[in-house]
Amino acid sequence: MQTIELKASRRDNLGKTATKQLRREGRVPCVIYGGKETIHASALLKDFNKLVYTPKVHLVNLNVDGKKYNVVIQDIQYHPVSDDAIHVDFLQVFDDKPITMEIPVKLKGLAAGVKAGGKLSLEKRKLKVKGLAKDMPDTLEVDITNLGLGKGIQVGQLNFDNLELLNNKNQVVVSVKLTRGARAAGQTGEEEGEE
Amino acid sequence: MKGNAQRGHELAFGSFGIKSLQTKWITGRQIEAARIAVTRYMQRQGQIWIRIFPDKPITKKPAEVRMGKGKGSPEGFVAPVTPGRMLIECDGVPYDVAKEALRLAAQKLPVTTKFVVRRDFVESSNE
Repeated sequence: MQTIELKASRRDNLGKTATKQLRREGRVPCVIYGGKETIHASALLKDFNKLVYTPKVHLVNLNVDGKKYNVVIQDIQYHPVSDDAIHVDFLQVFDDKPITMEIPVKLKGLAAGVKAGGKLSLEKRKLKVKGLAKDMPDTLEVDITNLGLGKGIQVGQLNFDNLELLNNKNQVVVSVKLTRGARAAGQTGEEEGEE
Repeated sequence: MKGNAQRGHELAFGSFGIKSLQTKWITGRQIEAARIAVTRYMQRQGQIWIRIFPDKPITKKPAEVRMGKGKGSPEGFVAPVTPGRMLIECDGVPYDVAKEALRLAAQKLPVTTKFVVRRDFVESSNE
């Protein structure tokens, strides 16, 4: 998994007024937890954008006033109108402690069902996985080459090394749906066969 | 209605959407007009989701009637929206098509709107 460097500065005033002042200055209040102590910090909003507006997930090397922390983004709150991040939660990562993350799904190959006229539908863009930070991949590759028309791949059918999938096993990750054209072609084919 | 939307302000289904920037009542007719505008432009490709539902009954007195004599009769239903409220979402079409379709839909609505895209959207990932 890729690592991104981010600079932050510690904040001591935690009240509503101080936080609002921070946001006016273009900074985002954040909290780092999961370690021995909870640290309150703030970082520049524009620095966060490279973490937020991307399909990838990253490990963050957070530099808080010279002290470095390995963290992952646990939660982000957004403003309902402006869509800017208004608060970020970071979870501190340790080599021996498993973490839970949402990793994007990447499809591999061309499905047999698509060749037959079906429409590929990615139902789950991200899957929740649990594992050690060093084992976390950039993407979860799902091979769809043998996926036929009207078929789907469920979470229970997937298996990744050193990772535990936390989504419901019955949830469909990707499926090939019958299009109106394919359905009509299938029906006419059946009728001709009957005759 | 005071303040911004506290819920329903994120894209929940599609990759594109429009959100309200004003507080207003949106009638069932306006929602239906917007839905038709999107569907027509997208030429039945992709999928759309209407994120508001008109479940608030509204009454109105007939024209040229003096005040009093009781409450007016029900006239229709509205969906109260506040700033930030996601109104319509769509997916399964290219960015340009979605943007134009939702612009046409926004013209049917009584509020100013903002076009939003999923934060992790990449054009090539559009299946």
